Amino acid sequence: MITIALAKGRLADQTLDLLEQLGIDCRELRGDSRKLIFTTDDGSIRFIMVKPSDVPAYVEYGTADIGIAGKDTLLEEGRPLYEMLDLKLGCCRLAVAGFADRKNSGITNSHTRVATKYPNITRNYFAGKGETVEIIKLNGSVELGPLTGLSDVIVDIVESGRTLAENGLEVLEEIGPVSARLVVNQVSLKTKRDEIKRIIDGLRELLEGEANDS
Amino acid sequence: MKGSANKWMQHIPEGVQDSLPDECYNQRIIEGNLRRIFHLSGYDEIDTPLFEYLDLFGGETASLKQEQMYKFFEPGSRIMVIRPDMTMPIARIAATKMKNRPLPLRLSYIGSVYRYEGKRQTRQREIAQAGIELLGSKKPEADAEVIALAVESLLQLGLSDFQMDIGQVDFFKGLIEEAGLNEEQSESLRHLIDQKNSLALEMQLKELSIPADIKNNLLRIPMLFGDEEVIQSAMALAKSERCTRALQNIDQVFRLLEKYGLSKYIAIDLGMVQSLNYYTGMIFRGMIRDMGYPVCAGGRYDTLVSEFGVDLPATGFALETRQLLVALERQKGLKPTPPTEVLFVYNPMEEEEGYARIQKLRSEGIRVEVFLPDDSNKSDEDYAREKGIRRIIRLRDGQMKEVTF
Repeated sequence: MITIALAKGRLADQTLDLLEQLGIDCRELRGDSRKLIFTTDDGSIRFIMVKPSDVPAYVEYGTADIGIAGKDTLLEEGRPLYEMLDLKLGCCRLAVAGFADRKNSGITNSHTRVATKYPNITRNYFAGKGETVEIIKLNGSVELGPLTGLSDVIVDIVESGRTLAENGLEVLEEIGPVSARLVVNQVSLKTKRDEIKRIIDGLRELLEGEANDS
Repeated sequence: MKGSANKWMQHIPEGVQDSLPDECYNQRIIEGNLRRIFHLSGYDEIDTPLFEYLDLFGGETASLKQEQMYKFFEPGSRIMVIRPDMTMPIARIAATKMKNRPLPLRLSYIGSVYRYEGKRQTRQREIAQAGIELLGSKKPEADAEVIALAVESLLQLGLSDFQMDIGQVDFFKGLIEEAGLNEEQSESLRHLIDQKNSLALEMQLKELSIPADIKNNLLRIPMLFGDEEVIQSAMALAKSERCTRALQNIDQVFRLLEKYGLSKYIAIDLGMVQSLNYYTGMIFRGMIRDMGYPVCAGGRYDTLVSEFGVDLPATGFALETRQLLVALERQKGLKPTPPTEVLFVYNPMEEEEGYARIQKLRSEGIRVEVFLPDDSNKSDEDYAREKGIRRIIRLRDGQMKEVTF
């Protein structure tokens, strides 16, 4: 039996669409059940429903053999995992955003404050540019940072950019693209090779087929 | 219970563990078994200090970053670190205090190393290890010997359902050399290959101006894992002499293990490309089904000892003994510490004879504990029952009376 960690929410539904196309019975997961663990009728696959940011931890420890998580979560958690497929779901980008006209103005701007849900990505990104920043970890509505003066800029995922625009903010720097990835535990890939390979190969074919159709 | 003035008195830091009697008992059994296996294979155990100069661990071929080490300072001394690894101290000894011994040197160790893996990594910071190093031989026979010893160690501990993945870092290094990539480019490719991130690897390779056949080879590395046929398919890709030699080497090692009858525990993974400034040839990793991370790691490091001015090719491995303990418990369960066999009870007037009798029993290999009544008036029988002791011997007026239950 292999265990797959799914992030609750929209991404899980889209992932289930793909898995169902592979002939995996996901009906039980579709309901409104509060259950956290589901096993397919034939007992071959167990799903565990976890918080998106917890997916990498479950996979690193081998509690789940496979996980589906956003690239942003993987970068933030920075755990040793095999990142084997890009599911091309939940596509967006990581960016630095703020008020364009206030960038590099002001006397105290040698010290930048950054509000973000991603302190590790932020630290690595600015360290890579040789900048030291003060990071303020927030858990939501990060855009409020520059709006209220809590921070100079934010680091966050940007989908359409609408939230930013409605608040007078804009993307100042691109950090990188984000989409859902399939990650595999480093031991499971070897010790449960056939079971895992079947799923990965199946998904890859599906995705390539879709790419060719469009 | 009185409230404690300082609550920190009751806590231990993150990343370290206590080992209570049943766990400690089993941990020592594992270590004892490994010590015996290493000893019977001709390895001599050595011990090195818990802390040494940073200079030893922070050199050119360091496999660990300074940020991962526990450092401390004092005026009048150089920076010191609590050992993050056992291979460096052994290399130091091999190149200095034991440099005139006949080669090869076979050395083993059992001890803990200390590493900080960053706040995000919740891995333990104190890692109990047992390992061996075989110094002074370049031959594939030496590599096969250490891999076989790792397999036998797991088997003799009673573990099953495990696998050793063997790789060869020189195959990757050969391709990088052929492609003529700089350090930054090759490090970024290495990272993606190590993650088996084929997609990002493909994107990255697209941007590099290197011959298409080399690109194609690099792109295939992450998937070069599986059974021995992988070596053959890699052979078809290899053009440079360095790559071919690397594959011939891993093939020889595999053939030897096959002759030892161990091939069913062996798989190949040419996509293992970690710690490249440290490893120079064969590398391997031991994995147990349902344990999330490797319990054994090793490989060949031919340039490490030369940092001490002595050319000494070497190969070896370390097992994580605490992880082995967890694996053993999952696979077949562990036995608790056996209870004391005899509870010995005697009068204050008969201490001389009582003590002599107890020592006699102990000399016969019987585990004896003395009944020390406290103020609660608990009887010797009550105490024996609570502790699972099945025999009470009471000494009274020179006579021993025994109760068994």
